[in-house]
Amino acid sequence: MNIKLVVGGVIIILGIVLGLVNFFDSNVEYGDFAQAKKTQKKIQVKGEWVKDRESSFDADKIQYTFYLKDDSGEILKVVLEGAKPNNFDLANSVVVKGKYMNDHFHATEVLTKCPSKYEGSSQQVKRTL
Amino acid sequence: MFGAAFVLAGFLAALCAALFYIRYLYTPSERMLLAARMGFILAAISQTAASNILLYLILSHKFQYTYVWSYSSTTLSLPLLVSTFYAGQEGSFMLWTLFLSLMGIILLRYTAKHDCEAHVMAVFSLILSFLFFMSVVKNPFAYIWETYPLDVIQHGAVPPGIEHMIWLDQAKGIWARIPVLGRGLNPLLQNYWMVIHPQILFLGFSSVAVPFSFAVGGLLKKEYTAWSRIAVPWTVFGAMVLGAGIILGGYWAYETLGWGGFWGWDPVENSSLIPWLVCVASIHMMLVQRQNGTFVRMNFIFSMLPFMLVLYSTFLTRSGVLGDTSVHSFVDPGMWAYWLLLAFIFVFAVLGFGIFFKRMKEIPRVAVQHSLISREYVLFLGACALTGAALLVAVGTSSPIITSMMNGKPSAMDISYYVNTVLPFGIVITFLSAFAQLLWWKNSKTKPIMKQMALPAVLALIPTVIVLLMGRKEFLIHLFVYTASFSLFSNFQVIYEIRRANAQFGGGAVAHIGIALMCIGFVTSARYSEKKIVHLEHDRPLKTLGYQMTYRGFSLRDDGKYAFTVDVEQGGRKNSAAPTMYYSEQTQSVIRNPDILNFLHRDLYIEPLMLEDTSGGAEKQMTLPKDVLQEFEGLKLKFTGFEFSEEQRSAMMEGKPFELYAFVCVFEGMKDSTLSLKMESTKGRTAFLPLIYRAADLKQYEFTLNRVVPEEDSTKSEVEITVKRFSDQAVHKNDVLTIEATVKPYINLVWIGTVTLIFGFLLTIIRRAREAMKKES
Repeated sequence: MNIKLVVGGVIIILGIVLGLVNFFDSNVEYGDFAQAKKTQKKIQVKGEWVKDRESSFDADKIQYTFYLKDDSGEILKVVLEGAKPNNFDLANSVVVKGKYMNDHFHATEVLTKCPSKYEGSSQQVKRTL
Repeated sequence: MFGAAFVLAGFLAALCAALFYIRYLYTPSERMLLAARMGFILAAISQTAASNILLYLILSHKFQYTYVWSYSSTTLSLPLLVSTFYAGQEGSFMLWTLFLSLMGIILLRYTAKHDCEAHVMAVFSLILSFLFFMSVVKNPFAYIWETYPLDVIQHGAVPPGIEHMIWLDQAKGIWARIPVLGRGLNPLLQNYWMVIHPQILFLGFSSVAVPFSFAVGGLLKKEYTAWSRIAVPWTVFGAMVLGAGIILGGYWAYETLGWGGFWGWDPVENSSLIPWLVCVASIHMMLVQRQNGTFVRMNFIFSMLPFMLVLYSTFLTRSGVLGDTSVHSFVDPGMWAYWLLLAFIFVFAVLGFGIFFKRMKEIPRVAVQHSLISREYVLFLGACALTGAALLVAVGTSSPIITSMMNGKPSAMDISYYVNTVLPFGIVITFLSAFAQLLWWKNSKTKPIMKQMALPAVLALIPTVIVLLMGRKEFLIHLFVYTASFSLFSNFQVIYEIRRANAQFGGGAVAHIGIALMCIGFVTSARYSEKKIVHLEHDRPLKTLGYQMTYRGFSLRDDGKYAFTVDVEQGGRKNSAAPTMYYSEQTQSVIRNPDILNFLHRDLYIEPLMLEDTSGGAEKQMTLPKDVLQEFEGLKLKFTGFEFSEEQRSAMMEGKPFELYAFVCVFEGMKDSTLSLKMESTKGRTAFLPLIYRAADLKQYEFTLNRVVPEEDSTKSEVEITVKRFSDQAVHKNDVLTIEATVKPYINLVWIGTVTLIFGFLLTIIRRAREAMKKES
């Protein structure tokens, strides 16, 4: 009986530890570029695409480079692993996930928030009348 | 109008059924039971009628209903048109309610036969009435003028030419315009998976309500042990259907959505995985109870949990609480869903757990009499491991809620969280699924077990070594492959040993083989996939990933998608892939559909990234103020004025179709020509017609108006146009197609495993259902 309890107990404790450690390790927190520069962890930064600065796609490296202005106003170069995301031109706010590297923010993932998803149903009604 | 009335009638009937059944429990009378039954059947009939009405409205394109307008259109094929029934929040609750009520009719017969109708159906009717209530509050029968009053409601006389309208109050002159077109279905949903996947998932969601009803019903009636035997086939059915739904969803993501894999740990995927894991745990716990009568209390919890988790998952994915952290954003929920779902969870948690804790002392305890190495204990450990894995996935999926409580901002988990936490549990679970099969009930001797384990343990090395040789060494991954293979061979051994006994007894072993195959397939196809991005020039073969690939050009298909032809050659065998790409007006983005070449030992997954014209076509947007010369690649352009006749002008005023021309003069050397660029407007929709101009050097240009700005003072007018130069060769000889090619080794194991798993579940359902029948007679 005791051994069984011990075995069960150990498994439960290991499970909880495993969960907790990974929870804090893998949670991608929100921050700004200033915070991204300080940490080694993956972080997500919300901001606005600076459309009048250069943006380009490197077809050989498959990297898309653009400038992002974070919510505290800092502008930084962002290099995204991958092609220019869908909806990017329409997005009024962009979230990049990744790490700060040397002179730029290296993003592995980009989420775009598009106005069309949140508004415009009433324009759509008008269009289909 | 009738639709909403039927929903309301169904809600009332289901509520009456629940109340009559509960009343019957305290003062049994034949009349009360009949009334309750009638109530339930009436509820099912009402929901069937309401669903048929919705289906009729969709099929006949009644766009005066907001729901029909929001998700369907006149251009969808029949199966897709039918599938718009559940494309939105309201319709999917309708479907869930429909399945639940129809399943209730079967359950009613089943429980009546097993003499447990009143208490099981009391709980089940209560669940049904709650689901009905969701549709009473928000159903798909709202009119468009209720949803968008400002846009469609008009006052006064109806201008000529408007046919699609309806009088709301003719005496006061209030009327509404009705859309002639629907908004259409999200292009990502437009494929055959949409036609079958959601139904299966909702069938699974409905079936986990049954074990919940049995458990709570048992507690209500103070009948603590007999119910589990009768409930087992339903639990297994729920696990089978839910499991099939999850994998189908995964295949959808893999095959058409272009997620790159079948599992992305997305909240929507996780939300059906969590109840499934607990459902499977529950099956194993009930197995122990059937064998030696233990775990009576625990099994109440385990039978209630899957349904509770389905409710919680529904809350997570449909209340909008996850915000922007999920890729799935098909529905725009609104606060009603949030609070109703929260209330739903609260009521049933209080009901289920409340009555459980109230009755806990009365529930008989059976002293545990098994040793550490007994099937009971190992099954218990396995159920704990499954629940633990479910819990970790649930915590990860809920992380936006947890983090927003902790630091005010919701943030999601990185996918690595799930791999890191679930993998150790996977190792334990696969090992136990082999170990338990070799053990005896109550107590096992160590020696014979060792002997039995020897052969599978050795054989399991073969797949492990194969995976090791594929490169990339990770200890836990290889351990997982080993335990999965161990489970595979052990369960084969079990089948071999019982082959002469009834084939039905092999259900468990067959299901375990399925899971083991799937686990190995997960590792090889996801962890050992190879990905390359290559640029394919037209007609020039390129060697990559062991295949010779040649881009052969593209064609515009009937459905408006561009299909690229990529020839793939390996060892003399020729195949052709046709990934597609198209621009969706609705989502205003490029949609990419991969194509998959399925080989016996691997898949080749080809996703188009972009098509470039290297000969240098060019495109420019220009604003042309009136009478000002502008230049584009040596062409001099001048906007000289509009043609907009009195006739057209009055047509515009009356809301009739009208057209307008803008004149752009092109000067090329000594030659000049005037282009009339046309804009036409029909029913509020404006179209600009492109015009081709062939220059002296035979280059082709395309001119299109973008915007017109006519001013009272005509010298201040301007237009915005797009000028596009086509590539020099019309045959696209210089195109370069960029693709992402991925090799997924042994992915067929996942699909073979899935079929095996479902077959195992089927065998088990048949066996347990027969046993439940036998017990009665």
